[in-house]
Amino acid sequence: MSTVATADLFSRAAPSPFHFNSSASLLRIERERAANLGEFLEALRSCPEESIFQHTIQTLQEHHYIREGFSNDFAHWAYTDCNEAGLAERLASLDVRAFTSISSLREQIVRIVEEYIRLNPASRDRNALKPFYFCSSQSVIIPTPFVAHSLGEFIEELKKVSVHSIHHHFIEARLRLKLVSNDFSMWLEKEIGLPKVAARLNRIDIYTLTLEDVRQQLIRILRSATA
Amino acid sequence: MDETSKGIPAFAAETDSSGGNGNVRGAMSETEQLDTATLPLRERRKKPRISETPPLPPPPPKLEDYERIIGKPQLDELRYLAEALHGKTVKMVNSTAVGGGVAEMLNRLVPLMEELQINTHWDVITGGNDFFEITKGFHNALHGGSYDLSRQIQEVFLATNEQNRQRMKFEEDVVVIHDPQPAPLIASKKDHQAKWVWRCHIDLSNPHPDVWGFLRPMVDQYDAAIFSSPAFARQLSVPQYLFYPCIDPLSEKNKELEESYVQKVCDDFGIDRSRPIVTQISRFDRLKDPVGVVHAYKMARNYVDCQLVLAGGGASDDPEGAVVLKEVMEAAGDDPDIIILNLPPWSALEINALQRASTLVVQKSLKEGFGLTVTEALWKAKPTIAGAVGGIPTQVIHKLTGVLVHSVEGCAYQIRYLLTHPEFAKKLGENGREHVKENLLMTTNVRRWAVLFRILLGLS
Repeated sequence: MSTVATADLFSRAAPSPFHFNSSASLLRIERERAANLGEFLEALRSCPEESIFQHTIQTLQEHHYIREGFSNDFAHWAYTDCNEAGLAERLASLDVRAFTSISSLREQIVRIVEEYIRLNPASRDRNALKPFYFCSSQSVIIPTPFVAHSLGEFIEELKKVSVHSIHHHFIEARLRLKLVSNDFSMWLEKEIGLPKVAARLNRIDIYTLTLEDVRQQLIRILRSATA
Repeated sequence: MDETSKGIPAFAAETDSSGGNGNVRGAMSETEQLDTATLPLRERRKKPRISETPPLPPPPPKLEDYERIIGKPQLDELRYLAEALHGKTVKMVNSTAVGGGVAEMLNRLVPLMEELQINTHWDVITGGNDFFEITKGFHNALHGGSYDLSRQIQEVFLATNEQNRQRMKFEEDVVVIHDPQPAPLIASKKDHQAKWVWRCHIDLSNPHPDVWGFLRPMVDQYDAAIFSSPAFARQLSVPQYLFYPCIDPLSEKNKELEESYVQKVCDDFGIDRSRPIVTQISRFDRLKDPVGVVHAYKMARNYVDCQLVLAGGGASDDPEGAVVLKEVMEAAGDDPDIIILNLPPWSALEINALQRASTLVVQKSLKEGFGLTVTEALWKAKPTIAGAVGGIPTQVIHKLTGVLVHSVEGCAYQIRYLLTHPEFAKKLGENGREHVKENLLMTTNVRRWAVLFRILLGLS
C-alpha cells in the first residue's frame, strides 16, 4: 500500500463513528451451591444464564492479568477443590469465543461434566474441599467520551480507554452480537473496509494474554496492517 | 534496662518467659533507643526500637491521588460511572465513628463518594453500655457462639434502635445499614422512598439460630444485602451481592515507603536484610497458627537459610494472646533468627515496612475471615504462602497469585521452594499485586457501590 493510501486510510472518515463504552458489574450471590460434582451438574442445569456468563466470561476480566493457567471458574474449582484434573482440563479447553449464546455454552459445559461423571462415577458424590458458590453478573453500561471517526482516531482512543472497555467490546460483545466476532472487528470490517484486519483481531488469544497485552496487540495489528 | 520494667507500656511489656533466647520485644525509652542504635544486629534484636506513641493520622487522600495507582483510564471510568448518580443522596449508618474496620473503611469511602458528587452522609447510632454489651453478644452469637436471647435483651436492642430511629431522618435516595447493630432502623423504610441496603461485614455461615431468627425478619425487609463472601451469606428473600473487603493503597499500612525507612525499621528490629526474611503479620492468636509457622520455618531451615519474623499485637489486651505469645516464644527456643515483635496498634508504618522488607509472607491461618493481611502482602507484590481457609482462596489462587497450604509440612515445603525458585516467586508476587489492583482496592469498592446504587435506582 502506498504512503498516500495509508495516510488516507488512517484519516478517512468512517460512515459511522465508533463510540467506546465500558461496563461495570456486580457479583450477585445465587442460591445454587455445589459440594460435589453431582450437585455441580444439577446447578449447572438450573442456574441463571448470568451465572454461566459470570463464571466463564466475566471472570476473564477479573483475572485478566494472568497469562498462564486461568480459563474459567468451573475448571479452576474442578482442579483445586475437586482434584479432578481430567475434568479441569476439559473445562479449561472451552473457548468462550466459539459460542454465540450462553445457552449453547451451558449445554457444552453440562455435556463435559455429564461425560466425566459417566466415565468416573465415583467422582459424583466425592466431597470437594470447598463448595462451588454460583454467582451471577449484573452490569451497567458506562458511556465514555472517546469516539473514533477514523482508523487513526480509533488507534489513539484505544490507547486511552480502560481495560474494562476493551473487555466490553472485545469479549462481552460476542454474546450481545450473537456472532463469532466482536465490536472492534465488526466496525473495522463494515465502516473502514478492512475485513482481513478484522479477522486478525478476532484471532487474538484472550486466554494467554492480559487485557493490557490485548490492547497492545490490537494496536500492533492495526498499525502493521496499514503500514 | 530490664525488659520487664514497669516503665514499659502494657502493649510492649512482653518478656521472654522461656528464659532462653532473649528474643524479647519490649519497647525502650528514646535515650535507650539512641544507646542501642550502634549495637550489632543480633544484640539489637533483644531490644527492638518500638514507637511508644501513636503518630498523627494523615489527611485522607483525594480521588486524584489514586490515579498513579490505578491509572487514568480506570479513574476516569469511575467518574463516568458516577455521572448518572450526580446529586443522588446516600446515608451510611453504623455503630461507631472510630475504631474497627467498618469505621476505617467509611472514613475513606465517604469522602471519595462526595468527590464523585454522590452526596453521602454518615450517621452513627448511639446507645448505652447495655446496648453495646448486647450487640457484642450478638456478634459472637452470629459467629456461632452460644447465647441466651432473653425477652429483655430483645427489648433493649429494639428500644435503643427506636430512639435512634426517632432521632434520624431518612430522606436520602439510598440508605445503607452496616452490620446487625442498626438493622432495626429498617422500620423507617415504609415512611420514605429510599432503597435500603444491609451491608453485613460478618460471617453468617453458622449463626446462633435464636439470634439469627430474631434478626432475619428485619433483614428480609431490605432491598438488597451485601456479604463479603458467598460462604458468609444466608438464604434470604432479597438479592444478595458480593463485595470483597478492600485495602486502601494510600493508607499508612499500604502506601509506598522510602527504602531508607524500610531499612531503618529493619535496623530498629534487628533484621538482617542481606538474608531471606520470612514474615507472618498477625495477632498472637491460635487461629493464626504462629506456632505452626515456627515449626514450618524450622523444617525449612534444614534446607535454606532464612530468618523468621512474627509480628503482631493483641498479646497485651487479650489474656489468650499473652498465652499464645508465650507458646510461640517457647517454640522459638534459642533460635537467634526468629524475631518476635509484639507491636502496638499504631504500628501501621512499621508493619508496612516489615512486609516490604520480606522475601516471603506467610499467613498460615487455621480459620480466617477474609484475611486482609494477605491482601496487604499481595499488594506489595510479595510471594505469599497462606492457609486455604476463609476468604484466603479468593485472594491466593494456588500457583498463580500465591500458594495455598493445608499443613505445617506444606508450609515448610513452600518456604523452601519459593526461596530456591525466585523467578517463580517473583511471578506470583506480580500476579498477586495485579489481583488486588483489579479486585481488592478501595477504588474497586467505590466502583461496586456506584454500580449497586445505579441498579437499585434504575439507572443501569
